[in-house]
Amino acid sequence: MKKDGNVYGNHISQSFNEELAALKSRFLEMGGLVETQVLQAVKALTERDAELANLVRDEDKVVDRYEMKIDDAAIHILARRQPTARDLRLVVSIIKAVSDLERIGDESKKIAKLALQLVEGDKTPNGLTEIRHIGQHVATMLNGALEAFARLDVEKAVEIIKEDKNVDAEYKTASRSLMTYMMEDPRTISECMSVMWVFRALERVGDHACNLAEHIVYMVEGEDVRHTKIDQLNEQLKRLD
Amino acid sequence: MPIGRLSSAEVEARVVRSLKKRHIKEKAFRAVGLSGVVTGLVLVLILFTSILSRGLPAFWQATFELDVYFNPEIIRIDPRPTQTSGESSGDFRERELAWLTQVNMVNWNRLLEDSVIAAAPEAAAMARRDVRRLITSGERFQLREMVAENPSIIGETRRLRLLADANVDVWLRGNIDRSLPDAQQQLSRATRDLADKLFEEGIIKIRFSQALFMNPDSRSSLASAGLAGAFVGSLFMMLIVMFLAVPVGVASAIYLEEFAPKNKLTDLIEVNINNLAAVPSIVFGLLGAAIFINTFNLPMSTPIVGGLVLSLMTLPTVIIATRSALKAVPPSIRQAALGVGASRVQTVFGHVLPLAIPGILTGAILGVAQALGETAPLLLIGMNAFVTNIASTPFEQSAALPVQIYLWQGNELRNFFEARTSAAIIVLLALMISLNAFAIWLRKKFERRW
Amino acid sequence: MSTNKTVRMSANDVRVFYGDKEAIKGVSVDIMENEVIAFIGPSGCGKSTFLRCLNRMNDTIEGCRVEGEITLDGNNIYDSRMDPVLLRARVGMVFQRPNPFPKSIYENVAYGPRIHGLASSKRDLDEIVEVSLSKAGLWDEVKDRLMEPGTGLSGGQQQRLCIARTIAVSPEVILMDEPCSALDPIATATVEELIEELSSQFSIAIVTHSMQQAARVSNRTAYFHLGKLIEVGDTDEVFTKPKNELTEAYITGRFG
Repeated sequence: MKKDGNVYGNHISQSFNEELAALKSRFLEMGGLVETQVLQAVKALTERDAELANLVRDEDKVVDRYEMKIDDAAIHILARRQPTARDLRLVVSIIKAVSDLERIGDESKKIAKLALQLVEGDKTPNGLTEIRHIGQHVATMLNGALEAFARLDVEKAVEIIKEDKNVDAEYKTASRSLMTYMMEDPRTISECMSVMWVFRALERVGDHACNLAEHIVYMVEGEDVRHTKIDQLNEQLKRLD
Repeated sequence: MPIGRLSSAEVEARVVRSLKKRHIKEKAFRAVGLSGVVTGLVLVLILFTSILSRGLPAFWQATFELDVYFNPEIIRIDPRPTQTSGESSGDFRERELAWLTQVNMVNWNRLLEDSVIAAAPEAAAMARRDVRRLITSGERFQLREMVAENPSIIGETRRLRLLADANVDVWLRGNIDRSLPDAQQQLSRATRDLADKLFEEGIIKIRFSQALFMNPDSRSSLASAGLAGAFVGSLFMMLIVMFLAVPVGVASAIYLEEFAPKNKLTDLIEVNINNLAAVPSIVFGLLGAAIFINTFNLPMSTPIVGGLVLSLMTLPTVIIATRSALKAVPPSIRQAALGVGASRVQTVFGHVLPLAIPGILTGAILGVAQALGETAPLLLIGMNAFVTNIASTPFEQSAALPVQIYLWQGNELRNFFEARTSAAIIVLLALMISLNAFAIWLRKKFERRW
Repeated sequence: MSTNKTVRMSANDVRVFYGDKEAIKGVSVDIMENEVIAFIGPSGCGKSTFLRCLNRMNDTIEGCRVEGEITLDGNNIYDSRMDPVLLRARVGMVFQRPNPFPKSIYENVAYGPRIHGLASSKRDLDEIVEVSLSKAGLWDEVKDRLMEPGTGLSGGQQQRLCIARTIAVSPEVILMDEPCSALDPIATATVEELIEELSSQFSIAIVTHSMQQAARVSNRTAYFHLGKLIEVGDTDEVFTKPKNELTEAYITGRFG
């Protein structure tokens, strides 16, 4: 199986090629947009930038429009081209991945809203370092997943699936330390709860990035690796080679 | 999964049982079919061997090679008249005719007798009649023609090939029982002995018979009876059929198949054409006699009438063959042509007809071949008349090959004409086979895949 | 999608009778400029019969009678002044089975222009042949063997040759009667791609018994059922949310 970017071209029908290419590139555009959204939301929060937070909140509408457009295009392809094999996997994976991207957008919006709340308070909340750290981590994961999608890179996708464990660990550690703050000073509880929500949102972003990576594995290899333990996953992929 | 009450094993057992029966039936049918084919082949083989074995010898016949002395003592004639100045051509013609009568009066037989005697001196002792019977009577005309054409050969000696009498041929080739008593022999003992001697000396040889191909029929000089008249007659009729029945038939078939509206009238025409094809050929002969001879006053026994009658007879065959050839052209070709905007005529002549041509040609030529072998209608228009000239136009009286075969078959000199009849059959068959071969060649040439 | 295009052909309450049997029961549909319209429906629904009305191919069938009005650029094609030969030059047709003439590839394409007198010189004709074959996507495959018989090509090539033969006459509308039903999937895909390319220059009406094909190649789809036109609309619409229950049942494979 050739794994260059052109595996979805080469149909006799030129317009089918074009439709698939457009679907892919629109998906990647949406991915890029969502990735920026995550980074911007984290930045707005950590740097207490209300303007940026508002921007992120507004951008969610664009993301939603992307989602609808991509779904529409995918349905168009399903109805008119009757895609099979890798084409079918591509279209189905994109339909699923798009909803993951949209959820990431939603999480970013949530973070932006919390950022606006936190901006109003005059005190610098606890846990900003963790937010920055986890935010960076999940943004990298998301970026990696999109890159893996663009390059049909299964190895990279598997790395990202594995990476999710680390995000989960970081999330737990950060929550625990935040818990300590809350116990030390119950007055900060409401503030800390907001930060907790941000942790939670970022953790969800990591989960969605992980889902994306799973879709990529399915898309490229045709193997469903969801709900699979890491060592089993390695086995499964080894069998393919 | 067994369906019904039988288990899989029982189903198989039953199938096996019924198989045996089916196989026996199949084998039986094959055996019957094969034996039919073999019988047919054997019969054809017998027919051909018998015709060939009987007919082929007739292509050769006993021929003298003699020095003939144009004895001026015997040929006592005036010099050939020439047209003098001031003489009318009518007068000259009259003088010339008188001279020709003089030439005719010469005792040419004597010249022949003398030549035989010169070659075999002991014949001098025989009765002249017995010597004369060696050479067929028609050959004296050969001498007469030579002199009439060129009187200067009088007094000279020429080496000529002369056909032996039919009875001599029969005797020499053992086609008559040599032990029969004299009374039952056609030739006198002296003639037979002389013939044997001349044969031994090589004066009479069995040579290839040009007479068979070059001469018309003859009854007075049986040995020189030939097929030329009949062949030319048949040829004329064939040409008439080809140039009349084929174009008319093909044109009507194209019209009926491609252009005519489909209604009661065309249905009626179609049914009648099919019926016409089944009408016995002798009926066409009657029709020809009634229409062409009685109504149009065309001369009897002529190839023109024969050709017209045979054309009528062949027409339905050609129409039916052409229509089925046209029908066999796939409709997709018609649609394709109509689809790019070809008119009906362009479609038919540009696309349908070229594809149908092999079939049409085959049908037409088979029709012509059938007409060529037809005898019955020709009998009714008098083509069984005994005609001794070779027709030079279709309006002259002529014989025809199949009728010639019929006539020779009835000739009383059986020993000679049995072979001659078979030879004529061979000629007719050869003509037919070459026509069929031509048809096959044409079909192969025009055949295209679509 | 097709609303702002001009109408090329228009059928208005068309009825077709075979003897006493009414095969088409009042069909009205427009064919737009530069569109591919697909006629789909179960066997015997009249889609082919209707297609053949559009270039009066039904004229050649005994006992076939057409009522109603079909116009080409506003002129009624069943008018007595309309010559069917001219009509068929303007409304070309491609058939179910590839049916090249048993002649050379060149002759196949040159035949139409020649009988209609479209080329004034040999060079003109050569050009028409080359352009037509190129448009049919066949030129590169056959340019070195133009004098070889058209029947020696593969099925898909033959069908493209037939398409080249049709477009050589520069028709306005091309009718295709199940053009891929005798072809293998790859040849089918090639012809479908060709149809899509041709739609930029011609109006194409295609009858197909493969609804997937209709979905792939057409801009609009018309669904026929028992001689009636049940639904016509943008292909996207028809294949994602058909308006009529019958259409839905047919395209989802629930028919009957």
